[in-house]
Amino acid sequence: MTNYIIRRLLQLVVVMFVLSFICFYVMTLMPGDPVDIMASSNPNITSEDIARLKTLYGLDKPVSVRYWNWLTKFVQGDFGYSRQYRVPVTDIIGPRLINTFILAGVALLISVLIGVAIGVKAALKPNSKFDYYANLFAFAGISLPSFWLAIMLIIGFSVKFKIFPAGGTQTVGVQLEGIAYVLDRLKYVILPALSLTLLQMAVYVRYARSAMMEAMRNDYIRTARAKGLDAFRVTWIHGFRNALIPIITVVALSLSFLFSGAIITETVFAYQGLGKLVYDSIIANDFNMAMVSFMISIAMVQLMSLVADLLYAYVDPRISYS
Amino acid sequence: MSAEEKKKQNHEAQTMWQIVRTQFAEHRMAVLGVRTLFVMCLIAICAPLISKLYGVGPDDQNVFKRYQGAFTTIEASRDQQNEAFEGFVTDSPERAEILLEQMAAKGLVQKDSSQSTEDILLDFFDARDETLADQLQSLNSSEGEQLLQLMSRFKTFHLLGTDELGRDVLMRLIYGARISLGVGILVALASALVGLLVGSLAGYYGGWVDTVLMRITDSLLALPILPLMIVFAAVELKKVPLLGELITGQNESIMKLVIILVIFSWMQAARLIRGSILTVREREFVLAAQTLGAKDSMIIKTHIIPNVIAPLLVAVTLNVGNSILWEAALSFLGLGIQPPTPSWGNILFNAQEIVHQAPLLAIMPGVLIFLTVISFNFIGDGLQDAIDPKTIRR
Repeated sequence: MTNYIIRRLLQLVVVMFVLSFICFYVMTLMPGDPVDIMASSNPNITSEDIARLKTLYGLDKPVSVRYWNWLTKFVQGDFGYSRQYRVPVTDIIGPRLINTFILAGVALLISVLIGVAIGVKAALKPNSKFDYYANLFAFAGISLPSFWLAIMLIIGFSVKFKIFPAGGTQTVGVQLEGIAYVLDRLKYVILPALSLTLLQMAVYVRYARSAMMEAMRNDYIRTARAKGLDAFRVTWIHGFRNALIPIITVVALSLSFLFSGAIITETVFAYQGLGKLVYDSIIANDFNMAMVSFMISIAMVQLMSLVADLLYAYVDPRISYS
Repeated sequence: MSAEEKKKQNHEAQTMWQIVRTQFAEHRMAVLGVRTLFVMCLIAICAPLISKLYGVGPDDQNVFKRYQGAFTTIEASRDQQNEAFEGFVTDSPERAEILLEQMAAKGLVQKDSSQSTEDILLDFFDARDETLADQLQSLNSSEGEQLLQLMSRFKTFHLLGTDELGRDVLMRLIYGARISLGVGILVALASALVGLLVGSLAGYYGGWVDTVLMRITDSLLALPILPLMIVFAAVELKKVPLLGELITGQNESIMKLVIILVIFSWMQAARLIRGSILTVREREFVLAAQTLGAKDSMIIKTHIIPNVIAPLLVAVTLNVGNSILWEAALSFLGLGIQPPTPSWGNILFNAQEIVHQAPLLAIMPGVLIFLTVISFNFIGDGLQDAIDPKTIRR
């Protein structure tokens, strides 16, 4: 087990190394070199000054050398300085990460609970009216553009009926403590979480339904019924427990979506999370910030898939990594 | 009773595609999806024709009439009319002169040297509103047609209102359909091709080729796609050595988007094809065919391809829907298709800031994306049911 975890973590490091180089290289292809941008706003700057600045910051060196410089600093924990926010990158990342965790956590929790419940119920009564509508809902959910749903929620809940704020993370300029603070944050989280939840739920309904149908078709279910177990035990202890494995797979895979999907949702709702940070820093040419927030997103997704693999072994004793 | 149903009842042999077709027809939503898409594709293909009949193009701007509601008719102001006539006269003075001669000959206008040509035309336009079109057509000249076209712009009808530059929303949506559907289909086909190549290489050769290719495929699948796409979309193509030369001009943003989407969507097809090839290769019927002395080309043609093509078809269909969603998402972030080329995503991007002013502008493109994508998803689902031998009811 320990060996397996160590091997996976090593793989993660290799993947991050390769990806960081690719991203570093791709970012050099983006329009606007930092010194050029600086020079364009300063008419008095001479071309010699520009050349000197480029040498000073190492921008005249080939990409591989620049990457190596960046990597050695990154490994030592020096993430650099954000051009957009004019503070060290580490100061920004922390709170942003927490914000995204809150949003993704709320969305994940609600969507898994409700989605799986709907899916299981549909699977227990296939071809019923409930099953039909659950299926329709699932298809609608995977076909909806997330940003459009977000805009519709804004039109509905903050333009027509002014129930929730249209965007933001918390009320600006007010110092709140305790319960009032939590409620304030909640008010801002509800709409983005709702838009993520509705889309994620659809995926879970589909997978939970097919996994549960598959599980209930097994012979041991018939045996359990035949020996007179009550329906609850048959469904949940014998059936659902075996349906859990594919459900865990899709939940783990969807974590990647929650981080990706959160980019769009966070941008529409101006929610100050990691996703919005990735987008904003790329748009604003904030190189250090983009690289770091990017590495964190990737690491997060990879770690989550590792956690999912470990969970399999827990849920399904047939799987073992030793 | 159709011929096929008869066949079914008499237990006659059906080809695979006949079975697929009858099965598919039983999936109500899938059939509905096919119909919806058929209508959409028809409208998208006929866009220039519709634009001609409707009298407004997708790029015709009128900045004085922004955010008009649905069912509005817009008449150009006096100044704009004047400007248009002036433009006509200064652009081609000799043509204007010919036209004036023709009109004077027909007795439509009085030739008066004290008045400028554009004033005469303007007076003519003011005086006879009802029979104007007939009169100009009776001239039977290209100049008359041109003037008619010019005048038709003075009074435009907008079924769905106008957008932030006073452009017609309906026409932009129709032209957007061309881009969105086109990009979706192109990406799905291209990524199926790449997937076919990678998958068959891996499946056919096995060994280290398989290991390397599948490692790449799996690691790409495990990545958060959207942040990567944003980085790639922000790239300036001119800085990329080879592509920069190949792709230039107006379609740059479209081609860039297609390439990015293909990079991140071929993996599913590759895995599918590799899997199919691996399982089919080991099947008894392939062994039987080999024992009977069938050539490799024969085995590939009659056994491997039919078994691979069916799941690939499903994957392509589902991929079209996904690509449309990704295209819209990137365009919505301002990184995809660049205006003035309309796509459903960038129409939404422009609409999001004024949702309280013109909610319809934000609702329409989303509804279209939704309808298209759900149609593709239902068709994919229907195809899967129809193709999967386990669900075939005989």
